[in-house]
Amino acid sequence: MNKKLKVILNILIVVASIVFFFCIINLILSIRYANRDVEDPAETYAGVFEYELEHRAYGEIMGDYYVRRLDAFTPEAGYEDLYRVAEYAHSAFMIMVCEEKNDPEKASLYGKKAESLRSELGAYAYTADEVDEMIGKR
Amino acid sequence: MKSTIICKTCGAEYDVSRVRCPYCGTAYAPAEEEEYMDRLEEIREDLHRQVEKDNTQPERKRSSAIPSEVHHAQNMRRFGRKYAATEKEVNRFARSVEGLGWKAAILIVLLLGIIITTVVSSMNYADPDEDEAARRDAENHAAAYAEDADGFLERGEYTEYVSFLYAHELMNFPPEEFQRFQRVQNVAREYYECIKLMEEMILRSDDPEYFDGLDTDIRNFCMYLTGFCETLEAQKSAEKDEKYLANILDMDTELHAAMRACFSMDEEGVRELLDMSQTQKAVRIREVLRHE
Repeated sequence: MNKKLKVILNILIVVASIVFFFCIINLILSIRYANRDVEDPAETYAGVFEYELEHRAYGEIMGDYYVRRLDAFTPEAGYEDLYRVAEYAHSAFMIMVCEEKNDPEKASLYGKKAESLRSELGAYAYTADEVDEMIGKR
Repeated sequence: MKSTIICKTCGAEYDVSRVRCPYCGTAYAPAEEEEYMDRLEEIREDLHRQVEKDNTQPERKRSSAIPSEVHHAQNMRRFGRKYAATEKEVNRFARSVEGLGWKAAILIVLLLGIIITTVVSSMNYADPDEDEAARRDAENHAAAYAEDADGFLERGEYTEYVSFLYAHELMNFPPEEFQRFQRVQNVAREYYECIKLMEEMILRSDDPEYFDGLDTDIRNFCMYLTGFCETLEAQKSAEKDEKYLANILDMDTELHAAMRACFSMDEEGVRELLDMSQTQKAVRIREVLRHE
């Protein structure tokens, strides 16, 4: 009986040792995973944003803005310019809609918002002109 | 002729074979001595017979008949044999279980190591669940967020309202405070998709070298527009709160205005568009936007 127990224990120790060895490897890999260099998505997006601006792809910018805003209602670090440009474009679009709807009060609300955003655009002020031009050209 | 003797104490005459006077009980020394010697002889003979018997019979049968010294010696021998047997058994058992404790301890340590490394690895691999944090935040600040949501609806900022709900995980997991928004929220969600796609279509790149996703946007827009009309009909009649009903109707009006402005149509054209199938809608919008 004890002999059998000894044999079973020996087998269990060997199996547990092998499993433990793999667990240690897994632990090392998990530590490396936890400390991996994560690419900053804002940094990556900055290049995409510039490319889209270069091609006047404000529709794409609007798409990016709406997708990002599903997670962050206010802009996260690195996305401030995207939010400003897209919010200006949205305001300009809504001014057009409210004028069509004959809702001067709401149009004026969006107008004030658009003015405020235009003043904050800084180096991207030209985007406001481009958006106005595209909306006016419809 | 029997010989007699006279008792020295009472003077009675009695047989010489008697050890004591039958009348006064005084001992007759020579007879008493003889009797004593006879008894000693009997004991000696008994012992002799017993020894002979012991040498021929099993020990346990003669044990009751032998004197206590012999019995004690036999007990000691028996005890000695039993002790030796037990000692042997104990030593044999000790040898058989030798090292079992150590092995069990090693196994336990290995199992604990496996459990700990697995837990730590899982924690390292797990990315933080931001949605879960947002849901907890929404539950904790439900009342304040409901006020903010009401503010968006009062100002008619429907796309902002929907984005706000999504960003705070209030769209798919609304707390109790958000039950009153359920109908207006359903309409707003479709409205949001329509406005978003119209903005994407109107502000699409005019660079012929750039990726053209207009057809996809038109197809999606037609799908959401149909969804908006169906949701509007269902929720309009079911909404009891006048404030939210006004919001629903305002979204409808606003979407019509947006379509008139974006697709250069009058109200009649918009109504015609809404009566069309999804494919017809797509063809019509494509004609307008591509100036075909």
